[in-house]
Amino acid sequence: MNKTSLTRRRFLLSTGAIATGLIVGCSTATAKTKGYTAIAGAFEPNSFIQITADNQVIFYLPSSEMGQGILDGLTTLIAEELRVDPTIIDVRHASLHEDYKNPEMGMQGTGGSNATRAQFLPIRQAAADTAAAIRNAAARQLNQPVDKLLLANGHVTVDGQRYGFGDFVALASTMPIPENSPLRSPEQFDQIGRERPRLDTLAKSTGTAIFGIDAEVENLYRAVVVRSPVLGAALQSFDASVALKQSGVVDVVELRNGVAVVAQSYWQARKAAAAVELVWDTPELALWSSDSIYKGFTETLNDQSQKGLECCEEGEGDKLLDQAQHVVEADYYAPYLAHATMEPLNCTVAVEGDSCAVYLGTQSVQASAGAAVYYGDFDADKVKVHPAFLGGGFGRRGLGDDVAEAVVIAKKTGRNIQVVWSREDDMSNDFYRPAALVRMQAGVSEQGVIETWAVRRVGPNVMDHVLDQWVDVLAPDYLNKGFVDWLSKLGRPLFKRFIADPSSADGIYADYDAPNKAVRHVTQDPGLRTGFWRSVGHSSNAFFKESFIDELAQRAGIDELQFRLANMQNNPRLTKATEMVAAKAGWGKPLPEGHFHGLASHSSFGSAVAQIAEVSVEGAKIVVHKVTAAIDCGMVVNPGIVRDQVEGGIMYGLTAALFGEITLVDGVVQQSNFHNYPILRMADAPEVDVYIVDSQEHPEGVGEPGLPPLAPAVANAVFKASGQRLRNLPLRLS
Amino acid sequence: MINFQLNNSPVEVDLDPDTPLLWVVRDHFKLKGSKFGCGMGLCGACTMHVNGEAVRTCILPVSAVQGAVITSIEGLGQADNLHPLQQAWVEQSVAQCGYCQSGQLMSASALLSKNPNPSNADIEAAMNGNICRCGTYSKIKSAIKSAAQAMRAPVSMVETFDPANVEVKQ
Repeated sequence: MNKTSLTRRRFLLSTGAIATGLIVGCSTATAKTKGYTAIAGAFEPNSFIQITADNQVIFYLPSSEMGQGILDGLTTLIAEELRVDPTIIDVRHASLHEDYKNPEMGMQGTGGSNATRAQFLPIRQAAADTAAAIRNAAARQLNQPVDKLLLANGHVTVDGQRYGFGDFVALASTMPIPENSPLRSPEQFDQIGRERPRLDTLAKSTGTAIFGIDAEVENLYRAVVVRSPVLGAALQSFDASVALKQSGVVDVVELRNGVAVVAQSYWQARKAAAAVELVWDTPELALWSSDSIYKGFTETLNDQSQKGLECCEEGEGDKLLDQAQHVVEADYYAPYLAHATMEPLNCTVAVEGDSCAVYLGTQSVQASAGAAVYYGDFDADKVKVHPAFLGGGFGRRGLGDDVAEAVVIAKKTGRNIQVVWSREDDMSNDFYRPAALVRMQAGVSEQGVIETWAVRRVGPNVMDHVLDQWVDVLAPDYLNKGFVDWLSKLGRPLFKRFIADPSSADGIYADYDAPNKAVRHVTQDPGLRTGFWRSVGHSSNAFFKESFIDELAQRAGIDELQFRLANMQNNPRLTKATEMVAAKAGWGKPLPEGHFHGLASHSSFGSAVAQIAEVSVEGAKIVVHKVTAAIDCGMVVNPGIVRDQVEGGIMYGLTAALFGEITLVDGVVQQSNFHNYPILRMADAPEVDVYIVDSQEHPEGVGEPGLPPLAPAVANAVFKASGQRLRNLPLRLS
Repeated sequence: MINFQLNNSPVEVDLDPDTPLLWVVRDHFKLKGSKFGCGMGLCGACTMHVNGEAVRTCILPVSAVQGAVITSIEGLGQADNLHPLQQAWVEQSVAQCGYCQSGQLMSASALLSKNPNPSNADIEAAMNGNICRCGTYSKIKSAIKSAAQAMRAPVSMVETFDPANVEVKQ
């Protein structure tokens, strides 16, 4: 467990507390109700598991499945302790209930790569207690001593006789549920750690997996929302008279952020939306373009009177910097990025009387339900969220903005509504990965020991923008809305003046031993809304840190691998991953003509990942041939999924490293679709080899940690191939 | 009125003729397997077969498929009757979020119907129009190869019919 992840965890907990104060009272559920609808005759020991008389085992998945494999992972845990084959379990997405709260987040949500880590014990405990209850009931019903009964493969076996679990559910339902039943030990595991096809793969290979956009309800109308070209502008007036006359159009509705055109079909709504004329006011963001943002960051970086906030101060801070043998300084920059999930945002809402059903893929069922309450004025107990698979999440889904529009349109029109965002809507109305400009400074001894590590970082934060969303939708509904909205805006001054947003500094100082560290962050925010983007602060900070480490090694004249290992002696997990990747990729061994290796090592979300990119440069083109990765993520539930997640992080990271850039002109996002926000395609995808460090430690994150080392590994190889040290993302050779 | 074949059944629609085929199949015929990703033919999530060719249906007006034979992912294979590509997809756990995979499978099946033994370059050329944001490209490539092999295998076991060897009875 490293410092960074601890900080982030604590922070999320406290943010949960600040943001919500709540959670008590977020739903009308009491401790006695379950999170699911009861099935007559079924054994219902907790909110996770139902076992029916006909041996059906149902698991209510508390985390969102967005590709990261948590459906498979948590179902495997249930199967392990319940002693059933995971493939027989009927897995359903859990709706809102306090039993499904993420234990680390304090709210029902999926993010921060913590779903396995946070639920590894509680989910197993729920299943182990369920298994014990079945066993107790079987013992009584069969009049046998409990220890003669064996649970295996979904059956109770005694004296060579096999019984289905269903035989005992009636009796089990009348008996007390055991607590703290012993969990299986790692030596006993026959599901955890096993390589096995993913459980959701059949549905996803036959077009039958249901995503939010696939929701169908009776009398469903489609809505398209026309939003401001500059995010945050207020609508002054609009003229929809032409749109209203178009084929299929039934309503036009004014929203707080735009105008919705409602029609019988998506295409009719989309066409008519183009005919709506809107007049917007000019928000502050309109004063900014990418050039002026970069210039402003640079001025602030150089303006030492702006001290910013302390993120880390250890030893003598930066006081001894100038006394070192080698003093190295370099500025690095990372741009704003969009998520570009394959499934554009969407939300379907069915209203009946004072009840509201919401269908979507979301990383927070709780925030989605809260959005229906806050924006749609529904009573909390009248809102039901029906979660679906997510066509990619990456931190984008679960802020409530998708639900906010749909509930208001449904309420104002009295119709069932599906809002489908176009790719252009999605790309220009994101919560972007913030841009950042940093000055890295280090003092290195003659022997190659980093003595001082100093960072001055300038840019926007994430949490203030997220709180602006979350406070509104998570605050208890008895609070006055004006007060809640005021509260939601407090994040901005809070993180600018008083508390350094940990996600801004995540990963920029923790991995190396340097006895003296000083990290400060100066908040400068043009106002473009920001959010969680796969690996959050690590996504840019690992690029800054690991590129700079190569610069230090090269200045000290020491091999980049040896330099890292010598300076991470307090970081055994990252050391193991780094040694492993070096051995597997053949660091220092000859490569094909014109090919070069670049190395990067980075810890995030509890896991340590090291990567070596094999790169060549052809003119101005960077070609990434192969990436070798090693991850130490503690105990592994399904090794195939760990490898896939690391590979996926590499591909997502490579898109960002080679192409990713959101730019603004007068506050307007210039990218709109995949022609000007390109995504890595198959022909450019490198070969990837992922190795997993054998470990019996508690499981840690895998969804995000594969991403951060990629950009610096490529940049470090590009330096060797071209002699150009690329300090700005995306990587562009001159 | 526009008539075409959809997954081996004749269908008829009376809709705005410029409505893209994707939305007709998804929202009119309620076959939700084909996905909307970009609306510009750039990502391939909406890929279906039109007369055997892989086509981006988010930019294909329904009026253009009058009389055409359309296959969507629902017509490629079902859980109890998987296409060899779907079989390989399942065995190799290709999908992560899964949203792009219907389109990937339709592009891949169009490729294999014309080229039973594609090279890496053939696969890349045929699949480069399909974006996967989760980064499953290497598994897609490997699943296409194993499916291609599986589809070729039974053929090689059948004795080749050569008319020259047939004795013509007088």
